Amino acid sequence: MTTAAAGTGKKRHAALNQFGPGTQAGFHIVLGIFALLCIIPFVFVIIISFTSEDSIRQIGYSFAPLEWSTEAYTYTFKLGDQLWRSYLNSFLITIVGTSLAVAITVLYAYPLYRKDYRFRGFFNFLSFFTMIFGGGLVPTFVICKSVLGLSDNYAALIVPALFSPFSVIIMRTFFQTTVPGELIEAATIDGSGEYSTLIRIVLPIVTPGIATITLLYAIGFWNEWFLSLLYINKNMDIIPLQYLLMRMQRNADFLAKNSSMLGADASRAAMTLPSQSLKMALVVFIVLPIACAYPFFQRFVVAGLTVGSVKG
Amino acid sequence: MKKFLSIFLSLALMLSLCSFAHADDLPTITIMFHGSNVSDDKAVLEAVNEYIADKVGAKLEVVWGTWGDFDEKAVNALVTGDSDVDMVFTCSWSSDEYNSFAKQGYFLKLDDLMEQYGADLKAAIPESLMQAATIEGADGKGIYAVNGFKDTATQNTWDVNVTLLQELGYTLDDVKNLGFYGFGEIFAKAKEVKGDSFYPFLIEPMVLERMVTNSIIIAGDAGSTNLLSYYLNPEDVSAEGAYGNKILNKFATPEYKAFAEKVHEYYEAGYINPALAVAETSNDTRANAQKTADYLIGTQSYAYGYEYSAEVLARGAEVSFVPCTDAYVDTTASQGAMMAISSASEHPEESFKFLVLLNSDPYLMTLMNYGVEGVHYTRNADGLIEFNADARASYSPWTNGMGNVTILPDTAAEGAGFREAFKAYYAGAKGIPCLGFVFDNTDVANEMAALGNVAAQYALALDCGAVDPATELPLFLDALEAAGMQTYLDAANAQLEAYLAK
Repeated sequence: MTTAAAGTGKKRHAALNQFGPGTQAGFHIVLGIFALLCIIPFVFVIIISFTSEDSIRQIGYSFAPLEWSTEAYTYTFKLGDQLWRSYLNSFLITIVGTSLAVAITVLYAYPLYRKDYRFRGFFNFLSFFTMIFGGGLVPTFVICKSVLGLSDNYAALIVPALFSPFSVIIMRTFFQTTVPGELIEAATIDGSGEYSTLIRIVLPIVTPGIATITLLYAIGFWNEWFLSLLYINKNMDIIPLQYLLMRMQRNADFLAKNSSMLGADASRAAMTLPSQSLKMALVVFIVLPIACAYPFFQRFVVAGLTVGSVKG
Repeated sequence: MKKFLSIFLSLALMLSLCSFAHADDLPTITIMFHGSNVSDDKAVLEAVNEYIADKVGAKLEVVWGTWGDFDEKAVNALVTGDSDVDMVFTCSWSSDEYNSFAKQGYFLKLDDLMEQYGADLKAAIPESLMQAATIEGADGKGIYAVNGFKDTATQNTWDVNVTLLQELGYTLDDVKNLGFYGFGEIFAKAKEVKGDSFYPFLIEPMVLERMVTNSIIIAGDAGSTNLLSYYLNPEDVSAEGAYGNKILNKFATPEYKAFAEKVHEYYEAGYINPALAVAETSNDTRANAQKTADYLIGTQSYAYGYEYSAEVLARGAEVSFVPCTDAYVDTTASQGAMMAISSASEHPEESFKFLVLLNSDPYLMTLMNYGVEGVHYTRNADGLIEFNADARASYSPWTNGMGNVTILPDTAAEGAGFREAFKAYYAGAKGIPCLGFVFDNTDVANEMAALGNVAAQYALALDCGAVDPATELPLFLDALEAAGMQTYLDAANAQLEAYLAK
């Protein structure tokens, strides 16, 4: 079918490098279905967040609930302080964490790319090694808490996630493929110092790479909840929104698993759990900002495909 | 560059000075609770610290572990030897399981401290609970945690929607007399009256199995899916049951087979909601049906006074709990909520003094549990507690996880004299013949993990009746056998014999 369609396209003198309308329609359908598959779950979440609790009780999750309700959102706003503080914390941690992490990653990856750096092999190995072998949870916890004092403070939510060897490798490779060594030499001959070469010549070329790792880090920090579970014990004022949600989920899971052990206490606690629609409302709160960030970064990522610095 | 460096260094210096600046005279002790729902503890801790400054000689800080977080937080703190956590909740079913963690040396042996400071505690907590906490630990036989006085006996009951029952023309006596194997006719009637989409039998499958077969949880058995059964004598829980003092493969007994066949019959007849057979949905489904009293007969592991609790009263129907046996004390229930002192604690003495005070001083217990008078609750004309719902929403610790709940004042919902009756009820509960036995599964940990996986695949569906035992049960038993059930069972029985011989 597609070949026939492409044939008719040729007859109409379609532009060079363009598929026939039939093929294009085919692509559009396939990609459209794929896009729908990505969007539908989120739309479903939004619908559930606006579904009344009675409707969920009677017919479960549904695209066409029996009754709509904004109850979950009114309740969310009543959560007041805790919600907004956590929301703010999420932003703070993501912005500070991502900026620091990107700076560290770029500054670590740049020397690894420079062939004239003597300890390249060693530092390459140092970061690569941690990608394969981790210290395990307990030693990591001891180092972070007892040695570095990361407990009950913002640093505990940022510092352990600052350095990702994976991003370093991406960045290093990006340097290698887009910044030719001759460019550095040329800059040096023209009298540019190391800092000036990096900031004024190299960085502008690798913006797409930086955008990519920024996105990776930002998503990582935004979705991070395990660090809060580990390191935040008393100071609940600084937990991010993601952890607030995970805590609700984990409470529900725990009670479901242990209800036969806990007896009346479990039934009692189950009654205080937040409703399904409230959970979905929180998911909406969490997903929206990061979903909004995507198109912004996408521009850079696409630009990266056609990037180059030396005219050939 | 040098300028940056010097600014950075001087900042670092200032910060490190700051951290030394707020040193206090009193040491800080930290306690980690389970199951809390607390977001604002400032007012309470202020009052607590004022009260305990002289009596304990320390300042209290609290880690309010929640249901989902506690296991991870507690195990982390204990295993890493975190000296920031002095006291930690432990029991027979949490991840920092009392018996095994005491054996591995994570908990401090309390006998010396008990001798020195524990007089008030001994007076407040029944001797039987002290006994239940006395185990073989890292430093020999002794007490490794302060055992809380709560609903220390187990009693499984039928949770009956009396309003609906009477509508159908039956009475509570009928429920008692018919029993599980005779419920069929009531369910059929309910289905007839309430329509096809109504599910009369609201079960917690694992609890139902234990209720019907009169078996108990063996402490130390595989976590959420038990593999072992010890059969009670339903007429007299302190006497030996049908099999004597013997542990059996839960799924291989005629009792289990009969139960699975009957429950399958009920399931096939549409008396049980299929959502209950799926682990992920069963709890939500049950909670929702309970909230609206959308059931006829349910299962409930009962605690004294549960019928007066707010959530049962809110169901909008008259609810009654019909017991299957007398309340019995087993190891699981008698180690149901305890407070241990971490062996990494730098202030064990202060911590112990605090635990003694918490379990024996009604003022402190009430403050920690119900909050500050005038803020979180008020007393009505009869001196009963009435909660301020708004303040309570941000401060609701798990009452039973805190310690001696019998020294709490009665609430308006429970009525005057509740705590006294509560105490009497549990003081009268008899111990089962193998009380105190804990299965040490360290030697058969591999078998246990394999068996747990097999059981997770079959047990819930069978207990709920969703599959036909005629075909599934033999497959299940074969899979258990292949995963090493016999080794597991022999280890348990050998240990039980050795325990009873002592």
